[in-house]
Amino acid sequence: MSRIDDTASAPVSAEREGSLLSRRSVLQGAASAGAAGVAAAALVSAGLPAVAETKAPARPAGAPGMGRAGESEPVVVHIRDIAAGEMDVFRGTTHIRVRDKEITARLVRASD
Amino acid sequence: MSSHREAPEISKDPVADSTDLYAFVSPDKPGTVTLIANYIPLEGPAGGPNFYEFGDDVLYEIHIDTHGRSEADVTYEFRFHTQLPNPDTFLYNTGPITSLNSPSWNRRQTYSVTRVDEWGRHRLGKGLACPPCNIGPLSTPHYATALAGPAVHTLSDGSRVFAGQRAEGFYVDLGSIFDLGDLRPFQNFQVFAKGEGLKAAPGVNTPKFLNVHSIALQVPISRVTVHNRPVIGVWTTASRRRARILDSEGADHVHSGPHTQVSRLANPLFNEVIVPLGKKDYWNTQRPVHDKQFAHYVAHPELAGLLPVLYPGVFPHLAALGKAGTARADLEAILLTGIPKGVIDGFTNFTGPVQADLLRLNTSIPPTTSNPSIFGLLGGDAAGFPNGRRVFDDVVSIELRAIAGVTYRLIDHSYTVDAAAGELTDGLIPADLGGPYLSHFPYLGVPYDGYHHPS
Repeated sequence: MSRIDDTASAPVSAEREGSLLSRRSVLQGAASAGAAGVAAAALVSAGLPAVAETKAPARPAGAPGMGRAGESEPVVVHIRDIAAGEMDVFRGTTHIRVRDKEITARLVRASD
Repeated sequence: MSSHREAPEISKDPVADSTDLYAFVSPDKPGTVTLIANYIPLEGPAGGPNFYEFGDDVLYEIHIDTHGRSEADVTYEFRFHTQLPNPDTFLYNTGPITSLNSPSWNRRQTYSVTRVDEWGRHRLGKGLACPPCNIGPLSTPHYATALAGPAVHTLSDGSRVFAGQRAEGFYVDLGSIFDLGDLRPFQNFQVFAKGEGLKAAPGVNTPKFLNVHSIALQVPISRVTVHNRPVIGVWTTASRRRARILDSEGADHVHSGPHTQVSRLANPLFNEVIVPLGKKDYWNTQRPVHDKQFAHYVAHPELAGLLPVLYPGVFPHLAALGKAGTARADLEAILLTGIPKGVIDGFTNFTGPVQADLLRLNTSIPPTTSNPSIFGLLGGDAAGFPNGRRVFDDVVSIELRAIAGVTYRLIDHSYTVDAAAGELTDGLIPADLGGPYLSHFPYLGVPYDGYHHPS
């Protein structure tokens, strides 16, 4: 049988590269979520237009659901390897791994 | 304990900490199997004002291997949702809770049940009410009939479910066992206790008058078996979202990403006693199908080496077995593959050659309804542990005896079992519990209330 969708997604998506989640979508995701932790805070500091509108904490009302990612779900970005530009991006019950040195470098600069 | 606080990380996360797993053919409904997964160890009944509850942010699952591949062919998912009708009071209840609809009950949980099988995902129930915790005669009067009983729900496929507080049904003398492996009834032989002049004494049940949270499911056997394969392998897991942000600006934390397993349980005491401390957290993240990596610890259990040291002269044959480096094929069979045909007359719970910690139940063996033995298979009662596990089975004594060599004779008839091995016990029986089991679903007893059990 197939495993539940959210746990099955991890090993599969771990193989994905940046083409499946563009830098722009990461930024937009962080912007729309507002509470995207590291990413949102860092990007605000960096002064990127995509997140400049998210000064308020703007966390979606109510507890996070356990279903698939929705438009209002927060996005959490974990930079695993700065040198390699490798990030884990969590949204809803999905996880993908993105490789983009430019974004990670900007996030790291913003966190200084 | 069976699996209470058995690994460093999960001991800090009680809401996700699986404590016991039971699987047995229901004695009062022999066409069904009952599966019970317990969570949240050592609940003090008076633990208010925030009484115990399941985690909204935890995915609880009971998995069943029906094909002998040590993979989940059927999974039941349980997701909880907490409601707080009145956030402007500190009270769990503002008056007596007389029913599951009582407006006086201010912190309540509901849950959904989803079955996942080869045909997909099937929502079997949602908005199912948990009972409140048993607070006391003023807050939760008539607990069993007014609150716990109505919290047994029938799912859309006819199965029955209960999720909520129950009396701890596991009995164990933790205070003694974790004091350098002391067994009070035998402490006159224990090397350190003997040095202190301690005499043999009765066991003391540590979790007496404590509660636990149970997820209990009663399913027709035909729903969890496939044709000509009556043996099932069962385990439970708890999983959390991979990312969590502690949001100081919002009322709730942010949870994101797929679920990742943080706790699992099948055979009692497996992670607690077999797996070494440095690998316990890792074990909790693994799927049973990968348990070959832990097989060495089953074949050469640390406790089997310790018994002859802690009880000098009492286990000479066990000591010789260990000294020879003999792999314990008996324990590998009991814990990792099931017992093949031909080892015990008329009995098998073999699932296949894949080594995996599963609680294996041969559902074709009818329940023992007259004088069941708490020693299960070792007591000549094939309906008990390690053929599944019933709520009253004395798994501590059974596993102590097995590790001490009693079951090794099953595969080496020339082996002489040490006289003490077959008598090992921590000195407890079900009568040492604070209250009785139930004779019907969900079988574990009515939880102890805080008023009468304040400490």
